[in-house]
Parts: sequence; C-alpha cells; structure tokens
Amino acid sequence: MLNYKFDWSIITSGKYFDWLVTGLITTLKLSAVSVVLAFILGLVIAVMRMAHNKPVRWFAHAYLEFFRNTPLLVQIFFWYFGSYKILPKAVNDWLVSTNFEFAAAAIALTIYTSAFIAEDIRSGVLSIPKEQMEAARSAGFSYLRSMQYIILPQAVRITVPPLVNQFLNLAKNSSLAMTIGVMEMTYQARQVESYTFKGFEAFTAATLVYLVLSIVITALVNLYNEKVLNVHKAA
Amino acid sequence: MKKLVALFIITAIASITAKAALAGDTLADAKKKGVLVVGVKDSTPPFGFIDGKTRQIVGYDIDFVTAIAKKMGVKLELKPVVSSTRMPMLQEGNIDIIAATMTKSAERAKVIDFSHMYFMTYQRFLVKKGSVKSLKDLEGKRIGTAKGSTSEQNAKKAIPSANVISFDDYPQAFLALQQDKVTAVTTDDHILLGLKSKAPNKDQYEVTELQIADEPYGLGMRKGDKNLVDFVNKSILEMEKSGEAAKIFDKWFGPNSDFHQKRDFKITADK
Repeated sequence: MLNYKFDWSIITSGKYFDWLVTGLITTLKLSAVSVVLAFILGLVIAVMRMAHNKPVRWFAHAYLEFFRNTPLLVQIFFWYFGSYKILPKAVNDWLVSTNFEFAAAAIALTIYTSAFIAEDIRSGVLSIPKEQMEAARSAGFSYLRSMQYIILPQAVRITVPPLVNQFLNLAKNSSLAMTIGVMEMTYQARQVESYTFKGFEAFTAATLVYLVLSIVITALVNLYNEKVLNVHKAA
Repeated sequence: MKKLVALFIITAIASITAKAALAGDTLADAKKKGVLVVGVKDSTPPFGFIDGKTRQIVGYDIDFVTAIAKKMGVKLELKPVVSSTRMPMLQEGNIDIIAATMTKSAERAKVIDFSHMYFMTYQRFLVKKGSVKSLKDLEGKRIGTAKGSTSEQNAKKAIPSANVISFDDYPQAFLALQQDKVTAVTTDDHILLGLKSKAPNKDQYEVTELQIADEPYGLGMRKGDKNLVDFVNKSILEMEKSGEAAKIFDKWFGPNSDFHQKRDFKITADK
C-alpha cells in the first residue's frame, strides 16, 4: 500500500513541463555565459602565470590556488551575500534591480572554472617545445604576440580534451546556483517535486537532461576537433 | 552507454520501491526497535533549533514528539530536515514522523497522512519597519522564502506580480532581507517572529498584520500508516486534555518567552 506510483504524465506536458524547460534554458544560459567568460579569463590567467614579471606571476599563482582550493558553494555565497559588505549601497541596489542571483552565480562559476582552465592551458603551453618561443622572440615577436600567434593556438588544441572536461563540470556545477534562488534545472525539478511530490520523476528527467547536455557538448567538441582542427579521436 | 543508463534507472527504481515497501506498520516497528526517528528543523526557532549551550536540537516540535515517544515507550532520535527534504525522507523511510513546521495542505494529504493540527499560525510578512502596509506595497517586489514550502505557493497566488525567490532555508531568506535583496520574507507568523528575535538589529524589522493564509501544522506520517497516525492523534489529544500541550506552548511562546503570545487554538479531532 505504500508503494510509489509512477506518473510520468505530469512532467511530459503542461505546467510542470514548462517549468522544466525554463529551468533548462536558464541552465544553458548560465553555462554558456560562464563557459565563454571562464575560457577568456582562464587564458589571461594562464599567460600571467607564465609571465616574466614576478608580481604578475605571483598574482596569478595566488588566484589559482585560492579559487581552485575553496568550495564552489562557498564562492557562490561569497559573491551573493558577501559582496554586500564591500560594495557601495548604490551598486547593491542596482545589482538587485537587475538579476543579481544570476549574475552572482555566473561570476562564481566563471572565476572558479577559469582557475582550472588556466592550469589546463598552462600544461598545454608547457608541452610546446620552448624553442618555438625562442624562435618567435628572435623573429621579433614580443612575448604577448608570440603567445597569441605561435604558442596558444597550438596549446589550446592540445588542451581541448581537458577543456571539455571543465566545460562539462561547469554545466553540472551550475546546479549549485539554485542555493541562491537561480531558477535553473535542478531548482525547477525540486519545485516540481514540492508541488506534486513526484520527486522521482522530476529528478529522473533532470538527470537525463544533464546527461544529454553533456553528451551533446562532448559530441560537438569532437566534431569541431575532427572537422576544424583535423585532430582525430585517437590522437 | 544506453545499457548503462537503463541499468542506472532500473537500480534507482528498484531501490526506491524496495525501501517504500519496507514501511508497513511503523508503530510496531518502532516499538520492536525501541526507537522512533523524527525529522525536525534545526534552524527554525522556536520550533526546532540548536540550543546554544547544550548543542542539542530543542523547540516546540521537539517537545511534542518527545512526549509521543515517551507514551510509546521508545527512544527518540532526531534527524534535521529542511522544507524540501522532509517529504522525500519520510517516503524513503529515513524518518518515521515529520515534526517540522509542516502545514497541513490538501495536496500534501494526497501523498502523506497528517495528525490533527497541533499548532496554528498564519502566513505573514517580515519587513523593514513601516515599509509594507498592504499587499499593494509588495506588487512587483522581490519576496524571499524557502524552497518546498506552502508559503512560496501562497505568495505567488496572493501577489502574482511579485518575484518570489526561494532560498534553501529561512535564515538565508532573512539574510537577503537584511541586505536589501528582497523587500519581504514571507512564511508562518511564528517562524518570522523567531527569525526576528535572533537578529542583532531586531528593532528595525516588523512582522506585518497582513496575512495571506491559515497555516495549521500537522505531524506527517507515511500514507496508510494507520496505527501510527491513530497513536499520534490519541497522544496529542491526551496532551491537550492534560494541559501538557498548553504548557509546551507557554514554554516557547508564552508571556515568559520572547514572543508574549496567547494560545488561541485548541488541539481537536479533525472532522
């Protein structure tokens, strides 16, 4: 008499389906914004980490250690609740009048992920023979230009597989945004559960969506590798 | 890959049905094991919160289930829950009773069984003093509450234009209010008073007279767990008769507490 009765119909159409879809869209938006920003920031930090200027290098090192070694959830709370004490009131009011929950989550995800991306890119750069840098410098390129035109294009290609991992992690980590009220996929699944008590159906749907999302990202990157970069899977 | 996914789903389904099937007669099981496991809040004073000195969970809800466990002749084990986890934990057999500021609602009653009402409160708003006079003042505003609560659903119904933001639990919603991230926190009267009483600058906040819903609390048990429901109902009716229920109310809400409230309800059998 206490057996769980499955009812998939509630999440395949109607109001609750719409909720899950809006949740998915928010997850996609949050992930997309953060992936792009994290990649750019990661590149910058990686270059800074390898710079000759000591303070710059130390700053990048401290950044990496700090953001890689503190829990993402704590960082999300920091940007959302902790920023209140630092920012002037006018800035706070403005942030709240926009979508601060989303922004705080995006900032946290971006910074957290950028630290991992920077390390992946750095290891990619280190795998490029150092003679290439020397050749570029002796051909008259500055350090930044050598990085930009010679080293990074090769390093990024080598870095693609670990980068995909970071993107996948980011997409999944975005679910933590629900703790500050961002209505993404997991949040909506929980909403459906608390309205219908059909938690198992809602979370199964969410699980499948994350799974599909991850598979699609992986497939797209593999496609990009093969078609654009001419890297073959086995390589 | 496909096979793996299928396997994963099948295992998950099997584990849920297996657990649910185990829960037959909780009263008999609890007596046999000598322990009753109750899900309670641990950050919702004065219903369930951690006492600063003893580091134990105490409160109105806890006193009720302590009395019930005593009548049953078993030991009481408390497990902290939040609004969004309490029902799944009950259904999966991790706890036997929910005593966690849970409103008796018709939707919930379809899935679990409730005891008679053991506490009566109303959904109100905690706001900065003087900022909210009527529901109009909340139109289009941001309102904070906790996930998985009836408060959230009531607020959306009462003020459709408001932006209801659900946090993991009430203290976070209150923190958002203190930081001007929301205009009001909405939930049951007494939870709001409890939040306010713990704030360092409590004079700046008030709980409005405005109310948008009745919130009768009930103890939640698994659907069809008739022996336990009957036992719990009998116990709390006895507690009402003996004056024990009123004593517990006075201990937490009465003239000598932070709340100075009068008890305006009586525990009676539901029609």
